[in-house]
Amino acid sequence: MNADQILTEIREANLSYLMLAQSLIRSDREQALYRLGISEESASLIAMLTPAQMMKIASGNTLLCRFRMDEDDMVWGLLLNHGKSAANDATARLHASILLAGRHQEAA
Amino acid sequence: MRSKSILTEAKQISRAVALIGLGARLQVLESETDLSYERLLRLYKEVAGKSPSKGQLPFSTDWFMTWQPNIHASLFLNIHEYLNKSSALDEIDAVIKGYQLYLEETSAQGLEPLLSVTRAWRLVKFVDNGMLTMTKCSKCGGQFVTHPHEIARHYECALCNPPARAGKGKAAGAIRMH
Repeated sequence: MNADQILTEIREANLSYLMLAQSLIRSDREQALYRLGISEESASLIAMLTPAQMMKIASGNTLLCRFRMDEDDMVWGLLLNHGKSAANDATARLHASILLAGRHQEAA
Repeated sequence: MRSKSILTEAKQISRAVALIGLGARLQVLESETDLSYERLLRLYKEVAGKSPSKGQLPFSTDWFMTWQPNIHASLFLNIHEYLNKSSALDEIDAVIKGYQLYLEETSAQGLEPLLSVTRAWRLVKFVDNGMLTMTKCSKCGGQFVTHPHEIARHYECALCNPPARAGKGKAAGAIRMH
């Protein structure tokens, strides 16, 4: 990927993210805060963005959304379910969901 | 007699409709809205297309302590707490929205949603009046539904330390540990 392609791809990803975030916030604000893992203030800002503003924010060389699990080894381990059988995939994923749902400090 | 606001009533009806749609028992609606029993009954039949089931609500905390239900209840309660901490919601709205997200999670993992909305509502009440609480697992750090006064330092959750025979069943939609 050359530099131009990288910038294009990042802009596309940012734009998709912003559009999805905005429609989630508009359809159910409280559930959107859970789904997106963002603060109420960020949600208010995103909800108000015009298409032109979105285009402006989306361009740049960095992504706007980031990983929810940061460097939490426990959650990563459960999501990847190393060396366990496939039957227990759903169980490990469920365990990860419980841990992720419990992490609301980051949202504030 | 106090004058009834039409807007308040509309809000209550839409809550009742959402709860009926999720499969709530009539007692939940009676407790969470000011609508009369007769109106709720009519609404129930209109929305669900059948009469509500009769009989008492489950009233014991024991169910939440059994293996699979405890995991389901913990998932719901973590989502519920998240919603409450990130925005100011009326209590019943937090139950409705949290339960919808719980249903999405279980269906995404191909699991049977063992926790009914009526049980989810009871769970929140049990936590409010201190009969149940959440304790942090000493292994994974997740919060799980427990009786109060669980010794946190030694507590291990139902997923880190499942009982010997847990998760060996072959029923579709059950939590498995192999």
